[in-house]
Amino acid sequence: METIENYIDNMFASLPKTEEMKALHDEILANMEEKYYELLQDGKTDNEAIGIVIAEFGNMDEIMEAYDISRDKKKDSKKLLSEEEVDAFLHSNRIAAKWIGMGTLLCILGSAMVVLFTGFAEAGYMGTSIALTTGIIFFLIVVALAVALFIYAGMKMDKWKYVYQQIDVEIPKLLKDKIAAKKQKEHPKFVTAIIVAVVLIILSPSILLITIVINESMVIFGVVILLAIVAIAIHLLIYFGTNRSAYTKLLEEPVLDRKIAQKNNRIHDAIATILMPLAVIVFLITGFVYEMWHINWIVFPVAALLIAIFSGAYSLFSKPSS
Amino acid sequence: MISSDVIRGYNDTIILYLLLEKASYGYEISKRIKELSDGKYVIKETTLYSAFNRLLKKGYIESFHKEQTFGKKRTYYNITETGLLYYQEKCREWELTKEVINQFIYHSAERQ
Repeated sequence: METIENYIDNMFASLPKTEEMKALHDEILANMEEKYYELLQDGKTDNEAIGIVIAEFGNMDEIMEAYDISRDKKKDSKKLLSEEEVDAFLHSNRIAAKWIGMGTLLCILGSAMVVLFTGFAEAGYMGTSIALTTGIIFFLIVVALAVALFIYAGMKMDKWKYVYQQIDVEIPKLLKDKIAAKKQKEHPKFVTAIIVAVVLIILSPSILLITIVINESMVIFGVVILLAIVAIAIHLLIYFGTNRSAYTKLLEEPVLDRKIAQKNNRIHDAIATILMPLAVIVFLITGFVYEMWHINWIVFPVAALLIAIFSGAYSLFSKPSS
Repeated sequence: MISSDVIRGYNDTIILYLLLEKASYGYEISKRIKELSDGKYVIKETTLYSAFNRLLKKGYIESFHKEQTFGKKRTYYNITETGLLYYQEKCREWELTKEVINQFIYHSAERQ
């Protein structure tokens, strides 16, 4: 019986692994099994029975024709990415990274605006209510702009979803080498950007200290400068990080099982779609209700870090050790 | 043994005839074909299931799942109204084919 099972498995091996084909495989196997045992009952030897059953299996071409599976189509179902497509993907990704980075930058700068106008009010340049209103109006405009940028970036990347999810995508070896070379070429830039961003974030509080030393009443403008520096640093992190991840995605070994690929991405999407809006909500509440504009921008890098940690940890633990 | 090439156009008819008797599943149908043809025609698994798929697509048969006595779930097939009409049409077609082809067949009886 094992011989028969192996034979059928082999016959179906080259067909797409769909539910339909699985059902057909099982059905034919059940038939052959029944036939086999009946032949044994009729007094045939094991070898004779196997021989007859296999001889009466037929030709796989018939199945492929009836089910509209052509050998070519099967190959085509894995989309071979061309160099132009890879370039277009990287280009779109870069644009999306730029807009996402800009959006985040705007959100932080928006909160800096509120702080700035509060500073004007405190310094006596403006009336408190006028300052606050102007600040908040600026802030809302900027956030609306940021949201528009996020949406635009999302739409830009939407058509490359299949590359991100690695669904039936294949990259020729030669092209992979080219991509790896490009990634290598951009590596120093990436490292520099990350170092600059991290140094900026670490050093940013010193601005506060300096302003305090110079003139204690200027501390609020120190906060504004601090926020601006952090905004630039985070923009750098997002822009270069997203670019980098596009290369990594292209060079990754494709996940063979489409279900696993989709599951992985679902989890990543779920984390990202929950965390990012959550971060915005936290940002707005802590800002408007608790007046924490000076520090609440931290939710954005924290959210980004959390997404990276979660999805990184998930893919690390779910990846079979090779 | 009949070559499958010759009989190809009539596999559907054979299957529909057997389904007219009663709803049935793959192996039972191929066994009945072997029996009724006195072992002169054995339908291959792939031929049988290509035919099922074709007939299902055209709506001549329908399938349903049924547990067998020993617990295995099998796909059973049933002939439909349109399947019956198609079967009758194929019968008429065969009568005509037989008549025509017979004209070109050397009959030993006629020589006497």
